Amino acid sequence: MLTTSPIERILRGLAITLVCLFFMFPIVWIFLMSFQTNETILRIPPSVVFAPTLDNYQALITGKLETAAGMLEINFMRNLGNSLFLSATSVAIGLLLGVPAAYAFARLKFKGSEDIAFTLLSFRFAPPLLVLLPLTIYFQQLGLANTYGGLIWVYQLIVLPLILWIVRGYFEDIPADIEYAYRIAGHDFWSTFRRIALPLAGPGIAAAGLLSFIFAWNNFVFALVLASADKQPVTVGALAFVTASGIQYGQVAAGIVLSIAPTFALALYAQRYLVEGLSLGAVKG
Amino acid sequence: MYEKEKGLVDAYLRGQMSRRSLIRGLGSLGVTAATAGTLLNLGATRALAADFDWKKHSGTTVKLLLNKHPYADALIANLDNFKELTGMDVQYDVFPEDVYFDKVTAALSSGSSEYDAFMTGAYMTWTYGPAGWVDDLSEYINDPEKTNPLYAFDDFLPGVIKSCAWNGQPGGALGSDDAKQWCIPLAYEQNNLTYNKRIFDANGLKVPTNIDELLDTAKAAKAVMNGGYGIGVRGSRSWATIHPGFLSGYANFDQKDLNIDADGKLTAAMNTDVSKEYHKKWVQMIQESGAPDWSTHTWYQVGTDVGAGKSAMMFDADILGYFMNGGTAEAGNLAFSAFAANPAASGPTPNIWIWAMAMSSFSKNKDATWYFLQWVTGPEHDLFGAQKMDLVNPARSSVWADGAFRDKLSGSYPGYVEMHDTSAPGASIKFTAQPLFFDLTTEWAATLQKMVANEVPVDEGLDMLAESVNSQLADAGL
Repeated sequence: MLTTSPIERILRGLAITLVCLFFMFPIVWIFLMSFQTNETILRIPPSVVFAPTLDNYQALITGKLETAAGMLEINFMRNLGNSLFLSATSVAIGLLLGVPAAYAFARLKFKGSEDIAFTLLSFRFAPPLLVLLPLTIYFQQLGLANTYGGLIWVYQLIVLPLILWIVRGYFEDIPADIEYAYRIAGHDFWSTFRRIALPLAGPGIAAAGLLSFIFAWNNFVFALVLASADKQPVTVGALAFVTASGIQYGQVAAGIVLSIAPTFALALYAQRYLVEGLSLGAVKG
Repeated sequence: MYEKEKGLVDAYLRGQMSRRSLIRGLGSLGVTAATAGTLLNLGATRALAADFDWKKHSGTTVKLLLNKHPYADALIANLDNFKELTGMDVQYDVFPEDVYFDKVTAALSSGSSEYDAFMTGAYMTWTYGPAGWVDDLSEYINDPEKTNPLYAFDDFLPGVIKSCAWNGQPGGALGSDDAKQWCIPLAYEQNNLTYNKRIFDANGLKVPTNIDELLDTAKAAKAVMNGGYGIGVRGSRSWATIHPGFLSGYANFDQKDLNIDADGKLTAAMNTDVSKEYHKKWVQMIQESGAPDWSTHTWYQVGTDVGAGKSAMMFDADILGYFMNGGTAEAGNLAFSAFAANPAASGPTPNIWIWAMAMSSFSKNKDATWYFLQWVTGPEHDLFGAQKMDLVNPARSSVWADGAFRDKLSGSYPGYVEMHDTSAPGASIKFTAQPLFFDLTTEWAATLQKMVANEVPVDEGLDMLAESVNSQLADAGL
């Protein structure tokens, strides 16, 4: 039986604390900044002692931002709503299309399957800026420019390859014999997929969904180029606090706290799927 | 509006009555100052309408692409007057400054007809104009059918309006006779000194009047700053490091970025003896008295630090000092001074940044768009923005002559009006207009960083820079 000495335990605890502090410090500091005014944030030297204020959150929620140059109107909550809508819808569509496709690539070996799968993956290789200009022109001709539908379509470039390749690896890890046994019992292909493959691949699908949600949430350039101001996600909207009349650090911090909250909550809720799904799909038997 | 009030406002607009008499007259009729402002604005709109068919494009919609900026706020705040005047509708998209030019470039390079007009800097039109993305506005300005006779094009400050006009030839003089008017200014920034009067007074510091005094004062200020530093100037690896204080001082010694030879070819001009001497002083100033993290400093850090009392002064845009004099820890303590780096110069020669409006060549409503452009760059909106909003520095001389505007500035921004009046005659874009502008100035900034970090001596660094610039110009056939 392995035993650890008290000194080893203390050192280990100390090391873990230091690592946690190192990684968590920026988040904690941003959290504290979100309750301060610009003046207290910028004082020299910085201090953790301050009178907390909810003004930054109030400004974000009401859309009225007080700056040195007067009142600015901001649409942060709309940006937040856009991010939620675009990311969630894109991931939902990505899962709807990607999971059956991943199953097909994993189970049905047909001519050109590898080529098609690789082509889909190659969408992730192309730098977005390279494809944006032709996309803009096509979108204008097709009437998709400045529409949520167009953006969700483009977001498939981010989410679909990710879902497809993660979930495919996971389907390949499920022994095919389980599915064959179910088929021999008289069930058809569709119900085998629905009742056996899908539940077994659940953690992998959740992990792929979560990761692609985070990637979609963090996207910046697609909406910026392809849509008007009213359809911009939070990644673009957050820049509104960097104004010619100064950087509103308090509102930037509050904006960060609000914008990481959904993904943070989702990651906390689904972290066991995330770890399980990614690690199981990664090891070949 | 009641007839008596209307009569008073119209008399004022015809120049038959002073502003003081107008306010007194309206006061006697029971009209408050705020209402008087509104009446005046409505009156100005009526006066505009009297001489020109503003309703010609009634029912048409134009769409604008705007940068999140106080100048755009002034525009939006006055839009209802334009709509009432013309019967047109105006839609707009506002994007944060950090990504604004990416959005503009994407829209223009894809030939998008979504936006009819957009805010731009004059430097950017050196790319947009030759690419065929923006229209030459001269043809509209010079067409009496399309332009209001009260537009008063000659009212623009000469250095500012000329800086928005270029003939498209690399090295061609801005505002030359054959120049095309790629954009029309909304407002502009001069680069001068903004200093913290509280710190200066408490420590017996005098406002510097040339580059040597600037070095001495910055050093003395740093010594008393208690953790802060003496002078803020930009230092990031970007064209924006060269164009404010640095180039304003450089131009004051009659130095140029590029020379034009007899064949019209461009060559580097920044490795002259005078230039090397100026660079040495600039580098020494940053090393002795600049921000410790100078090489990361942009508009935001320079402004934020002077507003927070972390730096004693800055040599940057006057309007940045204007913004920092409100809502910051040092609000009310900042003062302004025109600055001529060269003691032998006849006056300051600030390089300027201009926020202007341009018309997209892909617009499908060009005549209607011009109606909007002439209104937003016209004397009435410029005056409205300057008096009621933060459209500072206005680009029209008539606005600078307006007593109410000057009083507003003098009341809250000590020395601002004097600073402007002193340096405006020498204010213009000091760069040579050419398509490699952003590449060459970014490399210039990178060389400055190396000099300040002592990675390369100033003389050697400038010779290397000149060699690289010449090579790039030759490669580009310039």
